[in-house]
Amino acid sequence: MSASGGVKRRPSRLLAAGLLLATMAGCSEGAQQAPVKAQGPAMMPQSQVVMFGAGSADEGERLYGQECAYCHAGRNTGTIMLGRRMDPAQAELHKRTDLEPDYVKAVVRNGLVNMPPLSRVEVTDEDLDKIAAWLARNGPK
Amino acid sequence: MTAVIPRRISPAAFGKALDAFRAIVGPPGVLDSDEDRQTYIDPYALGDGLDHDCSAIVAPASTEEVRAIMRVANEFKVPLWPVSRGKNLGYGAASPAEYGNVILDLSRMNRIIEVDVKQAHCLIEPGVSYFDLYRHLTEKKIPLWMSTPGNSWGSVVGNALDRGIGYTPYGDHCEQICGMEVVLPDGDLVRTGMGAMAGSAGWQNYKYGYGPGWDQMFFQSNFGVVTKAGLWLQPEPEMTAKIELAFPKFDDAEWAIDLLADLRRRDVIQHNIVFGSPVRAASVLSQRAEWYDGPGAIPDSACEEMIRKLGIGWWNAKISLFGHASTVKAQVEIIRKLFEPRIGKELNFELWEQGDPPDKSARGIPTTMGLQSVNWYGGRGGHLSFAPVMPSDGKLILDYARKIKAYYEQVGQDYYASFTIGRRHVNNVSLILYDRDDPAMVTRVDQLYRHLVTEAASQGFGEYRGHISYMDVVADTFDFNDHALRRLNDKVKACLDPNNIIAPGRNGIGTRSA
Repeated sequence: MSASGGVKRRPSRLLAAGLLLATMAGCSEGAQQAPVKAQGPAMMPQSQVVMFGAGSADEGERLYGQECAYCHAGRNTGTIMLGRRMDPAQAELHKRTDLEPDYVKAVVRNGLVNMPPLSRVEVTDEDLDKIAAWLARNGPK
Repeated sequence: MTAVIPRRISPAAFGKALDAFRAIVGPPGVLDSDEDRQTYIDPYALGDGLDHDCSAIVAPASTEEVRAIMRVANEFKVPLWPVSRGKNLGYGAASPAEYGNVILDLSRMNRIIEVDVKQAHCLIEPGVSYFDLYRHLTEKKIPLWMSTPGNSWGSVVGNALDRGIGYTPYGDHCEQICGMEVVLPDGDLVRTGMGAMAGSAGWQNYKYGYGPGWDQMFFQSNFGVVTKAGLWLQPEPEMTAKIELAFPKFDDAEWAIDLLADLRRRDVIQHNIVFGSPVRAASVLSQRAEWYDGPGAIPDSACEEMIRKLGIGWWNAKISLFGHASTVKAQVEIIRKLFEPRIGKELNFELWEQGDPPDKSARGIPTTMGLQSVNWYGGRGGHLSFAPVMPSDGKLILDYARKIKAYYEQVGQDYYASFTIGRRHVNNVSLILYDRDDPAMVTRVDQLYRHLVTEAASQGFGEYRGHISYMDVVADTFDFNDHALRRLNDKVKACLDPNNIIAPGRNGIGTRSA
């Protein structure tokens, strides 16, 4: 459930927009679905994004699915915003290979540009440690 | 000790109140450090948001803890700002209307207590998010659907209590609430509707109970803290059909809204219909600079380019149909016959039948995609919604939209329309997008919003919902008989909550001067 097709090459902004339009069916607010041809590999559908990590044996992955994936998996807000300033193939957080636990924790508690911070009521320090460790699993050792 | 304390309370008394809160919820349930409080600042605040800073956060895990907190708050006169999950983005998020309130964060009360599959309802706590409920229904393979709002990060109960909406037949969220449990300001506990009977067997089946129905009193108010609510869910239909209708010209709004509103009144279309402009579509997909990076409001020529490149219309409406296959197919034909001659092309609905992938269906799947629009101008963005309620008359709506658009252009903000067509009304929604760190823009947006609300009121059109910074501004427009409604609200408030400890100023009720 954690894998989805990666974007092989960076599409132009408008092609990316068209791809998004074509994948947004079912979203209640936001973009209009328009007759623009989808190009490139399909992203994880929203119904799978919502269930990301459910049933995973790794608690970090399960918590990431619960607390982060709705913006950071599939073609969602976090993915799109990060895709504007980094390689879109790594714009989904769980595909990143450059994350370190302390960085993840600092961003979660302080927010980053348009990402709001998450409080210690919403995600406890203990759960954040697990999420950060899981996201950093492919990061610098 | 925190740097911020509630008004009219000594630091010593506030310290004692926090100790008492800690004794109730445990030390991790009370947050008062600068670092923790800043995680509750409204992420869409106009400016730094510190004018709505809280003094602390208390996070109970049960109804009994809420009751105990209420008693302490009365003892020390500590004002509490209850939030279900604090994600009311665009309306102030978790931040209190009044500086220095203690945020009562109900996020930990996130139990899905019961789902009745046959009767199609559930009983949930306010901390349950749309994602939580969707995952629960999916994991248990329960064939019940929920309506979801544009931003699904928030609380199901909280959104309903603020009269938020979604876009399926269950999209009037406040109407799906059936029975509530409420902690009153004095710590007393009531259940509304049939729940007023101990051991009630029909709490989530019948809304009204015996005698007056108090439920509406707890919507958009500060008369109690809702700790449980029943919610009706939609039995999975046999078929859905959906389509995006694109109307090419600005003036098409008149006939299109008349036609759609008639179908809505007749329940051929059973959901709130969103009717959106090019910037609405483009702001989720792209940033302003990709279309126009000059000063002032975005010109019509840029909107025409969006229409061409995104393959949309000047107005765009997503229509969904739900029901038995024979009914849905008949309704598809009704809509094709009405719209095809006017639009001049064939309408191809996407059909879903039981067993097909969920994304093909017209069901609500939670998403936060709508939040993308705040990145329109770049920088840390936000949005503010101007949403006057108007009769669903196409000419009236179009004329008003033209006037609002001209005013946006005059002040130099991009016009973003996202009307909602309801059963008998249209919310003439225009969203105001901004970069919260651009002081000139923040000032402009503030003036624009105040002007729009006042101007709409002079025509008899009032807002359906209010942002924490403008709750009094909106309440002032409800001025029949020299603000008789405010007098009534304040009398009820004084009676139930003499210490004004629950959300002073919420929707203009119990506002205290500095």
